[in-house]
Amino acid sequence: MAVEAAGRPRKKSGAASLQSWLWRRRWLSSALLLTPPLGWFLLIYIASLALLLVTAFWQINFFTTQIEQVWNLDNFRTIVSDPTYRIIIGRTVALAAVVTITDAVIAFPFAYYMARVASRRIQTLLFAAVLLPLWASYIARIYSWILILNHSGVLNWSLQSLNLPPADIGYTNVAMWIVFSYIWLPFMIIPTYAAMERLPESLMEAAADLGARRWRAVRDVVLPLALPGVVAGSIFTFSLTLGDYITPILVGGESSGWRSLGLGTGSTFIGNVVYSNVGIANNVPFAAALTMIPVAIMTLYLLGAKRLGAFEAL
Amino acid sequence: MKTTAVGSGDWFRLSTAAAAAVIALTACGSTTPTGSTAAPPPTANMTPLTTIGPGEGQLNLIAWEGYTDTSWVKPFTAATGCKVNAHYAGSSAEMVTLMANGGSGQYDMVSASGDADLRLIYGGDVRPMNPNLIPNFVNFQDYFKAPAYNTINGIHYGISLQWGPNVLLYSTKKFPIAPTSWGVLYDPANSGLITVPDNPIQIADAALYLMSTKKSLGITDPYELTQPQFDATIALLKQQKPLIKKYWDLAGTEIQLFTSGEVTVGAAWPYQTNTLQAARVAVADTIPTEGATGWGDTWMLATNAPHPNCAYLWTKWVSTPQVQAEQALFFGETPVNKLACAAMEKLQPHSCAQYHADALGSYFNSIKFWKTPIATCDDGSKNCIDYSQWQSAWTTVTAG
Amino acid sequence: MAIHSREARHGASAKSALRPPALRLEGVRKSYGHVLAVAGVDLTVQEGEFFTLLGPSGSGKTTLLRLIAGFERPDAGTIELAGRDVTSTPPHLRQTNTVFQDYALFPHMTVADNIGYGLRIKGIPKAEREERVQTALSMVRLAGLDKRKPNQLSGGQRQRVALARAVVNEPEVLLLDEPLGALDLKLRQEMQLELKRIQQKVGITFVYVTHDQEEALTMSDRMAVMADGKIEQIGPPVEVYERPATEFVAGFIGISNVLERNGIRFVVRPEKLHMLEEGQEPRSGMTVESGIVEQVVYVGMSTRYIVRLDRGEQLVAVRQNMDAPGQALRYEGRRVRLAWVPGHTYVLDHQRARGESALSEHDTEER
Repeated sequence: MAVEAAGRPRKKSGAASLQSWLWRRRWLSSALLLTPPLGWFLLIYIASLALLLVTAFWQINFFTTQIEQVWNLDNFRTIVSDPTYRIIIGRTVALAAVVTITDAVIAFPFAYYMARVASRRIQTLLFAAVLLPLWASYIARIYSWILILNHSGVLNWSLQSLNLPPADIGYTNVAMWIVFSYIWLPFMIIPTYAAMERLPESLMEAAADLGARRWRAVRDVVLPLALPGVVAGSIFTFSLTLGDYITPILVGGESSGWRSLGLGTGSTFIGNVVYSNVGIANNVPFAAALTMIPVAIMTLYLLGAKRLGAFEAL
Repeated sequence: MKTTAVGSGDWFRLSTAAAAAVIALTACGSTTPTGSTAAPPPTANMTPLTTIGPGEGQLNLIAWEGYTDTSWVKPFTAATGCKVNAHYAGSSAEMVTLMANGGSGQYDMVSASGDADLRLIYGGDVRPMNPNLIPNFVNFQDYFKAPAYNTINGIHYGISLQWGPNVLLYSTKKFPIAPTSWGVLYDPANSGLITVPDNPIQIADAALYLMSTKKSLGITDPYELTQPQFDATIALLKQQKPLIKKYWDLAGTEIQLFTSGEVTVGAAWPYQTNTLQAARVAVADTIPTEGATGWGDTWMLATNAPHPNCAYLWTKWVSTPQVQAEQALFFGETPVNKLACAAMEKLQPHSCAQYHADALGSYFNSIKFWKTPIATCDDGSKNCIDYSQWQSAWTTVTAG
Repeated sequence: MAIHSREARHGASAKSALRPPALRLEGVRKSYGHVLAVAGVDLTVQEGEFFTLLGPSGSGKTTLLRLIAGFERPDAGTIELAGRDVTSTPPHLRQTNTVFQDYALFPHMTVADNIGYGLRIKGIPKAEREERVQTALSMVRLAGLDKRKPNQLSGGQRQRVALARAVVNEPEVLLLDEPLGALDLKLRQEMQLELKRIQQKVGITFVYVTHDQEEALTMSDRMAVMADGKIEQIGPPVEVYERPATEFVAGFIGISNVLERNGIRFVVRPEKLHMLEEGQEPRSGMTVESGIVEQVVYVGMSTRYIVRLDRGEQLVAVRQNMDAPGQALRYEGRRVRLAWVPGHTYVLDHQRARGESALSEHDTEER
């Protein structure tokens, strides 16, 4: 009896004592819990980014196309001094900005209607309508736009039946603008909607109570308070456009005039140059250096977005 | 090089294939950076099989998607007992990666494109093959028995399969008579109606045009350009730029452009012509008087192939006129076996001539098969412009 | 001075025959689906009155307030503000302002901007606006906090800003929806007095919604007790407390001891009960009943004695804690006699039991 009484706790507590040991060192258990995801994050995200940065300062031997680990700034010098790259960077950033503004302008009233006007049923339907395209292949959706915009497409056909001159915006920067605005629109609507949905109804009532008509209340109350949501959405639309290279390949073109949207003739994006440098020329250091441009732009953008409270809205 | 389907694969391949070759060619060059002669490939001394033994029951292939269509794989397995396991690769780069370490003892063969071949050969990933074990080898067009991209110092590192030219595609409405010169692609009369591939290798097409139209430049090989020749070629491409509707990356994009009437003339592969004609779009293609660039594919044997007998049986099989014809019509490419012509006619009348499967030997002099530009010219001098400069010049042309 | 100190009027007695009432509701009904929120309310509030709508949650008092503000439209009935029918007028055109339960301060605006918002909408020139905002700020004793954002304020401060934001517009009627609900007891009691002071100062008609009977009794000139969408009783606090019209009102306001003697149901409030110990004699004319103290509840300032009468009912008596602490507890289990003056009881209208009438309303509504 005495033996049993003495022995039992010790025997039983293999797991229990481990637990209490861990409990007394709670930092350890949280460390154990966090290590795998954190390690993964460090390895995959930070390490690869760091590697990219380091690679950008290397070069390739043009004869052997092998990477030479010689520190130099040549890649950056080329990017800065060659007007071609300035044009490409300018075009990419400008179109990303235009697309972001377009999406914000479209998404705002749409999200407002969804969040504050529509009935539950309509809201659900609209949600489905916004999200449904995301289920379809991105490529397929771009192709459908090609079918709409090209020379013998739905758009020109419709214009023709109205006795109007053809628009011929297929394979132009206007087409890119339309397609980008379309494919990224859900990414703007959803955070904007979330930000608006979060606003207490009483704020709108308070504005009306104080004499504001609806549009005035929207301008004074909803717009500033939903702005973080719009900025959050713009992170997506801006960065997704900035990093894309498929849409330029599929719907871009070499047109000049207004159809180039003032972005110079051609539709090559940063991503396309990165791609061809990695995939074709094997000039990974140059591609890495060029990649630093959107990384830097996005870093600045995110810092700005943070100031506008976009991360609270996410 | 050929197209298998309208998809990113084509464009991916087209671009990466070239990259593979750069690495291959220059990698060998790196061992003797000052000389023009390369060290022999690592597997040069491996003795190829002299007889084909019984099949091992399995065959593991790395292939372009569809190169192992059931219509010719099924009878092969039935006849030889070799079960075909195919891994489809999306690009030449992927093929080279998969073939690392001689197929790592897993893969037997790869249907490599001409531009990946040298990389595989000098990487020691493929081994010499014995063409005497392929009965139809004697029926091959002479050019493809030992093309420079798969045969070095008389050693065959694979057996040629199919090839194709890069053609001039035009709308028959706009051009009732076939254009005879690539000049239509540089003619302001066609402004906004032209499309060419978005690929630095396109510089070779411009160089090919200058080779015969501006003889004073003295271009002899469109892949070996000196600085003045290169500058003149780039100047021509910059003149061409405002005339271009779109630089296409995907065969499908070019098909779209012609279908919708957006463009009326462009550089293409026979695949586009066939697809467009099948869709009753009024187009035709031609090889202008200046000649054309082109590409070729080869079945290569992995250094550590676990099933070499099945591999030889397979190569034997795909070299037969019937399979050559079926595959050619399936993909819009041209068989290397001359006897395939009759089989093609049976499958699809006039297709033999359409694909130039009956071409005379001299025809191949007009095709400048792809090779990747390197700094070392054929004559051993180092005045040629290498591929990385082609790459950046092309960016300047298209993106500016 | 932006906020004109009108003559403060107290109670219904101050009504002027010539001027229309500040607020008049007639037959106002509102239902949500099958739920009848407001079941026919008639109500008149005089100018300058502090009028309270008191009721438990779900009694329809907030809905009624929202109907007055214009956030909801009534299914039937009319709403008049200062003699003008505003039944179909949108909220931004009504001469009402609301202090919301959650204050609904605009989080992105400073305190001054919040308060000045209504004036800005009206197009009041900047100089005048700023002056009125400053006046309002000092009225709610927040002078100097005008540059703060709402999230830099305490709950009580936010409440004051919400009040200032509404009052600064000098509305015909100021609507307050449980404005003190989120504050702690001490702050709430402070604010009760503060509100009353401000109301008296500016003379604006207040319609105040609360479920807190003490608040209603403390602040109101008149109050309406609501239950199930109907008004049970309207009157000054003294009247409602001392002479509840229905058992519901009696029960909802204060602790009600309902007794039935000789077929008459009546209420006797706990503080009116004298607890007689052995030997103590009641004053003449008092009714006396005996019973046992079942439970003694110490509540600080006073002690509650729950007494089971010999005749079966249970009564609550309250005594100030004038004895030494702990003394009260010794009463538990003792026999006592309770005495009261018959004149301090109030007979209930027993023909109109609240529950029955409400039920029959529902039935007709559903059919």
